[in-house]
Amino acid sequence: MLHETSEADNILELSDYRVGFRTERGLAKAVDGVSLSLQRGSTLAIVGESGSGKTVLNRGIMGLLGANIIEGGSAKFQGEELANTSRQKFWGTKMAMIFQDPMTSLNPVMKVGKQVSEPLRLHQGMSKKEARDRTVELFTLVGIPEPMKRFSEYPHQLSGGMRQRVMISIALAIEPDILIADEPTTSLDVTVQKYILDLLVDVQSKSNMSMIIITHDLGVARGRSDEIMVMYGGRIMEKAPSESVFVEMKHPYTEALLSSIPRLSDPKHTRLTPIEGFPPDIVDGPQGCKFAARCKYAQDICLTSTPEETIIDTHTYFCHFPVGTDAGAEAFKSNKDRGFTAAGLRIKSKREVV
Amino acid sequence: MPKPIRRLIGLLGLLTIVSMVTFGAMNFLGDPLFNILGPVAADVDNPESLKVIEEAKAQYHLDKSLPERWARWAWDFVRGDFGVQFSSSGQPPVSDLIKERLPRTLELMAVAQIIAVSIAIPWSVLAASRANRRTDKISTITAFAFVSIPSFAMAVILFYFFSVQWDLLPDTYTATDPFWGISHDHRLIQLILPGFTLGLGSAAAYQRLLRTDLITTLQQDFILMAKSKGVSKRRVLYSHALRPSLFSMITLLAINIGFMIGGSLVVEQFFRIPGIGSAVVEATLREDFPVVLAIVMIVSAGFMVFNYIADYLYTLIDPRVRHEDTSKPRKITSMGM
Repeated sequence: MLHETSEADNILELSDYRVGFRTERGLAKAVDGVSLSLQRGSTLAIVGESGSGKTVLNRGIMGLLGANIIEGGSAKFQGEELANTSRQKFWGTKMAMIFQDPMTSLNPVMKVGKQVSEPLRLHQGMSKKEARDRTVELFTLVGIPEPMKRFSEYPHQLSGGMRQRVMISIALAIEPDILIADEPTTSLDVTVQKYILDLLVDVQSKSNMSMIIITHDLGVARGRSDEIMVMYGGRIMEKAPSESVFVEMKHPYTEALLSSIPRLSDPKHTRLTPIEGFPPDIVDGPQGCKFAARCKYAQDICLTSTPEETIIDTHTYFCHFPVGTDAGAEAFKSNKDRGFTAAGLRIKSKREVV
Repeated sequence: MPKPIRRLIGLLGLLTIVSMVTFGAMNFLGDPLFNILGPVAADVDNPESLKVIEEAKAQYHLDKSLPERWARWAWDFVRGDFGVQFSSSGQPPVSDLIKERLPRTLELMAVAQIIAVSIAIPWSVLAASRANRRTDKISTITAFAFVSIPSFAMAVILFYFFSVQWDLLPDTYTATDPFWGISHDHRLIQLILPGFTLGLGSAAAYQRLLRTDLITTLQQDFILMAKSKGVSKRRVLYSHALRPSLFSMITLLAINIGFMIGGSLVVEQFFRIPGIGSAVVEATLREDFPVVLAIVMIVSAGFMVFNYIADYLYTLIDPRVRHEDTSKPRKITSMGM
């Protein structure tokens, strides 16, 4: 937690929240005990690779997962336990979501203007004309040129960036207390990504809504969030105020994620370091730390015992041998000397690189 | 070449081929002279009769070669002269017969299709929104039952319950009654039982297609988006999911209308509706070439026209078809005609 705050200030409060899917093989634990709290007006970035459970976590909070799931633990929205309430009543009024692909998330056979004005008419009792005026206003706000003309166009007539702006207009029309943006820029051209992200942050700061940005790209989260939560295999690996994740990361997974991103400051022809291996099986998962099989620091204990939560100030992490500590350095050194980790992962020498 | 003209040429070419094939096939059926002249036609040993036969042959051009007869028929046909019936009187002319009978069949077809579509849409929405649950499974079984009950059996069942047992609907059709009205003496009401007989099977077939397409649509992201906007479940189904799911159903609808024009004869016979279906049966049995040909041409043209209408409907449903956005995949292309 950033500061000691009263519970009323927390718009979202998860404690040991779990989501499982019933499958033929057994229960797939997509989200496996996540605790977090989100303050009014602040932004949380959830970072992790595909299959880390970040999307399921958020759709679980929204209640958009359908009937085939089992939820556990506690999830409170504005102090109300979500399991005991119908989440539908928050849809279109207090919660809003932006989806990854604006092409598939906008109805292809409905004019975009109508798609934006729909929640206005349904939930804010606006007349057709009022809703239209408000929509045009929102289009102008998110930087859609010729808003009047765009109102009566179909999604396929707009570019990817324009479509995502339409999606943001929908979210803004709702004026939610919490906005969940699920990979809002992944399907967009890199040149458009920055605009869309900055636009999101801009409208968020003006409207005092809380926001969760889901991304697989730590770079997206940097500078645009108050707090970053790194997820892996349905669990939290590390959670810290935004900058300290970059400056003093504790979890080897965070470190691995960062070194898989190219940086301008790197010399030419620097090889990116991919994270070897695949995400863990969530039905019949490994004992101990979920990341152990792919971790360069892994020791025997990592394979048998799940690390306890360590809280230092505002920084939370789950690791036996955290990065930047003596224990971590020693673990890495011993693995490097051996050439492989306790889980059998081979450690390549940096010299092999071109 | 512009698309409408290309299609018109296609239509004319198709009609030409259909008429040739029908003309040739009819020729194998038998000797039409028997119906024109009566028993005299068989009396070839009598010189008197033979003279009459020769005269009739010349009058109806039956002494000419098959291609020439076809050409003569086609030339008359394009000028709107469908010829005379091959009967002793030859009256009324074929065009008058068609004018009298075609509207009855079209009325029946319209009633049947309206019934079919208005049953199929809510039925599919109900089944798709409860996909693979009990309601859906029961509705699937019901749909297969409706599709597999032959129309004469359906006619008997409906007739027995709604007309005989409960006396709710009229079972007799009177061609001279006015159409619009809600008493038993109006054809609109008289067409309800035959309309359901034809429509229930079609409704079930439409339901199978529309349900499947709806289930696919309901898994799209924009449905999730609509839900998260706080759109009610009912509104999500009817105003977001239904429209993009209509393609397959419309395709089948267009084909089915064509079938109904020519294929409603069982229902027409059962409910005594003197329409095109019964006319084609009577004419085929009489070797009445001009009548059969005229009806075949109308049915083929009907098929094509309704497929054009279906193509036009696609563009109304999906703006991506209208704007010819070829870069994006679209659910269905036109039927190619």
